[in-house]
Amino acid sequence: MTLCLNRLQEERKQWRRDHPFGFVAKPIRTPQGTLDLKTWQCAVPGKKDTLWEGGVFKLDVIFPDEYPTKPPKCKFTPPLFHPNVYPSGTVCLSILNEEEAWRPAITIRQILLGIQDLLNEPNPESPAQADAYNLFKKDRPAYERRVRQVVKENPPM
Amino acid sequence: MAIPAPNMGNGPTDPSSEAHMLVTQLYDPANQRNPTTINEIQTRLQHLQKGENAWEIADSLLRQPSAHHRFMGALTFTVKVNVSGGDIDEPTSWQILERLINHFIAIVDQGEQLMVVRKLATSLVTIFRHKASSWKRAIWQLAASLANGGYVSESDAKTVDFLTGVLPALNTQKATALVFFSVALAEEGLRLQMEPQLAGWVIQRLVENIEDAFLLVQYIIQQITTHASEASSDSLEATLSNEAMGSWKTWLGVYGNHRHSDNKQTQGLAIACGQDIIEILKLPSFSENAASVLTSALENRSWAFDTHSTFSLSQILSDSIVTRHLVSFTEEDSDADNMTYIDLLVAYVSHVSFDLFSDPMKHQNSQILAILHNIFKIPGYAAIDESATTRVLEYWGDIAECLPDQLEPSDSRYQIVKSQVAEVVLGMFNKLLYPTHDEIADLSDEERSEFNAFRHEACDYLLSAYPILGIELVSVFQESATGHLQKLDWRGFEAAMFCLAQLSEAVDENGHADQCLDSIFGSEAFAQLCLGGETGIPLKARQTLVDSFGKYESYFERHSYLLPGVLNILFESLNFESCAQPASRSILTLSKSCSRMLTTELPTFLDRLDQFRSKPTATVSTMPKVLEGISTIIQKLDSDQQKVQTLERILGFFVQEANQARQEAASSGYDIARAHGHLVLSCIASVGKGLRSDGDEVINIDATEEQNPFPPSFWNAGAGSPVQQLIMEAMRLLIVDFPVDSGIIDSACDILKAGYTESSGLFVFPPSLTVDFIKSFPLGISGTDVIMATASSFLASHGSHPMQIRDQAVQLIAHVSQLFASMLDNPDIYDPETANAGIDFLARLLPKYYPILFSLTEPLPTASGPISQGTPIFALLLQFTLHALRRPEPLVLRSGSAFWIALIDLRGGSPEETAALNEVLERFIPSLCETLIGQIAGHCARSDLTFLSDVLRRTIFKKMALARPSLTAALGALNAQTTDANGNQTPILSAHDKSRFVESLVVARGARPQSLEIVRSFWLKCRGMAFDYAQ
Repeated sequence: MTLCLNRLQEERKQWRRDHPFGFVAKPIRTPQGTLDLKTWQCAVPGKKDTLWEGGVFKLDVIFPDEYPTKPPKCKFTPPLFHPNVYPSGTVCLSILNEEEAWRPAITIRQILLGIQDLLNEPNPESPAQADAYNLFKKDRPAYERRVRQVVKENPPM
Repeated sequence: MAIPAPNMGNGPTDPSSEAHMLVTQLYDPANQRNPTTINEIQTRLQHLQKGENAWEIADSLLRQPSAHHRFMGALTFTVKVNVSGGDIDEPTSWQILERLINHFIAIVDQGEQLMVVRKLATSLVTIFRHKASSWKRAIWQLAASLANGGYVSESDAKTVDFLTGVLPALNTQKATALVFFSVALAEEGLRLQMEPQLAGWVIQRLVENIEDAFLLVQYIIQQITTHASEASSDSLEATLSNEAMGSWKTWLGVYGNHRHSDNKQTQGLAIACGQDIIEILKLPSFSENAASVLTSALENRSWAFDTHSTFSLSQILSDSIVTRHLVSFTEEDSDADNMTYIDLLVAYVSHVSFDLFSDPMKHQNSQILAILHNIFKIPGYAAIDESATTRVLEYWGDIAECLPDQLEPSDSRYQIVKSQVAEVVLGMFNKLLYPTHDEIADLSDEERSEFNAFRHEACDYLLSAYPILGIELVSVFQESATGHLQKLDWRGFEAAMFCLAQLSEAVDENGHADQCLDSIFGSEAFAQLCLGGETGIPLKARQTLVDSFGKYESYFERHSYLLPGVLNILFESLNFESCAQPASRSILTLSKSCSRMLTTELPTFLDRLDQFRSKPTATVSTMPKVLEGISTIIQKLDSDQQKVQTLERILGFFVQEANQARQEAASSGYDIARAHGHLVLSCIASVGKGLRSDGDEVINIDATEEQNPFPPSFWNAGAGSPVQQLIMEAMRLLIVDFPVDSGIIDSACDILKAGYTESSGLFVFPPSLTVDFIKSFPLGISGTDVIMATASSFLASHGSHPMQIRDQAVQLIAHVSQLFASMLDNPDIYDPETANAGIDFLARLLPKYYPILFSLTEPLPTASGPISQGTPIFALLLQFTLHALRRPEPLVLRSGSAFWIALIDLRGGSPEETAALNEVLERFIPSLCETLIGQIAGHCARSDLTFLSDVLRRTIFKKMALARPSLTAALGALNAQTTDANGNQTPILSAHDKSRFVESLVVARGARPQSLEIVRSFWLKCRGMAFDYAQ
């Protein structure tokens, strides 16, 4: 637990010092106003020159007690229309999977950048929601229209 | 291997001459625009640098008059050492070293260009890190050789004291060259520390140089401090000083990894070097570089500073040329891009943390705090014109966040920090003022985003400060907002409202700030604003204001008398593009939370809606929210009769719009018609959402089978019926013979689903509407998953009385089986979305509707294909789900697995039902086992194993008697072969392997991780892989 909190403190420090433009990552506040380091509210902007440009997508990053041995869970709130996001909002990405590519050295910055990449480069091998996956595979113009609508509904803060 | 003696030969064909010529050509301006030629030259040159004559070439090039040639000579040494690997033994390494040191001394004595000296220093490092090298005290030996003017062995070098004998004998050029080498050695050390297992021996030797490196730094810095105070920033002394400071920083990195095993003497030396560098801050020519090096060390190697260091730093920051640099930042013509001293300041205050807030307050600390607060007075916009404010605010954010954990409120220092935190709030306010309309026009999108991000960072600070400052913090912005509003100073008002809106997170629900907020929202000036009309409020201020209303929903719920005025501003704001989104959001939020109090305002809202719906800002992002808000208020009207009037007014308009969309489609305006139709149906769906009852009604789960699932009501048979007809008419207009579109399907499904959770109401349609809607779509359209999910929701809503809607359920199941039959009979039209959506529908209906499903023992009347003809409907469906388990599409396979898990988990509600279920399972489990074994015997994708394994373990655990013989038979039929070492074909799986597989699964007793592991190993074995690549 201490390892988890120490690492999260350090991540917070590093993030404050330097973070990619347009991204947000901060621990939530408890009703008493103190920080809950194990749940972060984050926002990932759509990459420039992609369909997702202009949108900022909010997600919660929830760290288990075993972090960084185990990866955090990233969950878009509200759930995002995307082939690799489960209906619950949870992101399906190899670097967030303990049995795949997760490594304790992966930082929050890398996770959020990885999610930003995923937005415009969905992995059709690993679908997580039927809605976006089917449109992506079957009707690309409709998929793109829907993404543009999602972008409009998620303007920058 | 002995290296050949230097060769002075320069005949036209010898390699040295060729190399010389190639280097000349490489730098010939005539070739610079010809990449092909450059590539050819480089390729040939590299070939020579790696070849057997490389040593002679290196020697020869180093003696050439041109610096380019000498640079290449040094590079050739590096390349050759790197490629020689095992060809260099220890004696050879000493020979190379001697030759390199002599070259090094020679070029330094000749006043060589710094780039060549650096390159040759790198060559020396290359030989140091060679595995055959045993060179240890490299800095000392090189220093002694430089002092001697020729190579001195390591043992001889050590006979003269490094600090008092060797270093004083070096002139500036030699000292500079030595530091170049020291830096290159440290940089190599940092690289090697990344892979210690490969470079253990080199690192061990490298560590022996740390103390010499720090002594060298200390000696040079002290010399500079004593003698070079007047040196210009481009002098050799400046280069030497900068290199020495950089050397300290790099060696701190090397030492950092060995610090804990050290006797602390070296750490003392490292700290002493840092103290000397702190003094350098006072020298104008060297100050900026010193600041940069110290910043990096404070941030990454805080152990390199002791109390004496921090004291010296505090003195210099508070009263020296550094202070003047920091203070000058607030002047109009300052160089706002140069952040060196600000970075040092922030690194220092972060390093000392709460020690800055001493009690009593020390003079230096007070000065430093004054400088920190002064940063907020820097001219220009934060994050656009200057970055210092953002940087300093980050520091204050850390302080505010950590204070509650660091000091008790009773501690006098807590009060000191608290007052500083409050001063920051006041100081930063001007920085939050949004650029004026004209200024905004000149900013790029990125600059606007940067500024917005800064404002949110600032509000993050406010939220961190709230637990410390409490309501006082809200009062500051309330007073500011009230004051600015009275003066109609909209920029100030906007900034204050922005801060208040962000603070809502801390104060809205608990009501702590209600009194404070009353002073704004209850003021005369605010009442004037609520009246609307020509208030002169600019768009930005309006946007922030309407956004803040939604954030204080609990406050307005407690102060409902303010709502009419607030909603008036909100409706008015819908007309402005930049405000429409936040205004519609706030209308929805406030209408939902205060719906009962707003019923008297409904006529006004409807009028406002009529005005709004024809505006260009009435889009699919705004209008549905407004309608949902209004509908939540309608829902609170006392009688259905009252509701009818308002709803007829709203929905009548959408039928007209639906007709218009049809006309647009008929005149080939497909895109316009599609968007129009989508807007209409989204709006109707949002009315349905708003009309949903609060959910406090008790759902009658004991409803008897005799109850009518669609009893006559006010809305389907009474006065409300015409309104319901309007919705059905709009749907008909936009579904039947209208271009198919996934957005329209989504909204139509939302309309249907709006009534599924209600017992009666406008959106509770006859069941036939859902069934006809679902059956109206052909195989393969986009959106089938949403349509079938609606069918599932429909059946779920009647889950308490399935037999009452038996006919509709049968129709839906038959529809799905018709789609499946088409795909089984004609594989060319197979549609994974339909397959997945249909199977998912079946899996969901199983728990409540399985008796209906398994009663469909007749074939489809229309079936005529080779597979479907004569096959009972239920069997056809199960056959399709088995087929799904063999499909390559992940979602289809997953839903197939989920279906079988649901089926195996079923328990009959009566002996008859149980018998019927068992009959189905007896018939299909052999095929299921055969399919599963076929797939996990290496055919499926690795990622599918999790799902297939879940089906397998359930089948074994819950239906052991049926599963065991079926699995044995399926395994027995496996006959995969492999080729052994002798080229003979042998079976991949022995009979023992097969029986052990079944036994292991039985022993796992349905446990998920164990079963999956067994299945994975089996899959790997069948694929001929003896190891698991993931482990």
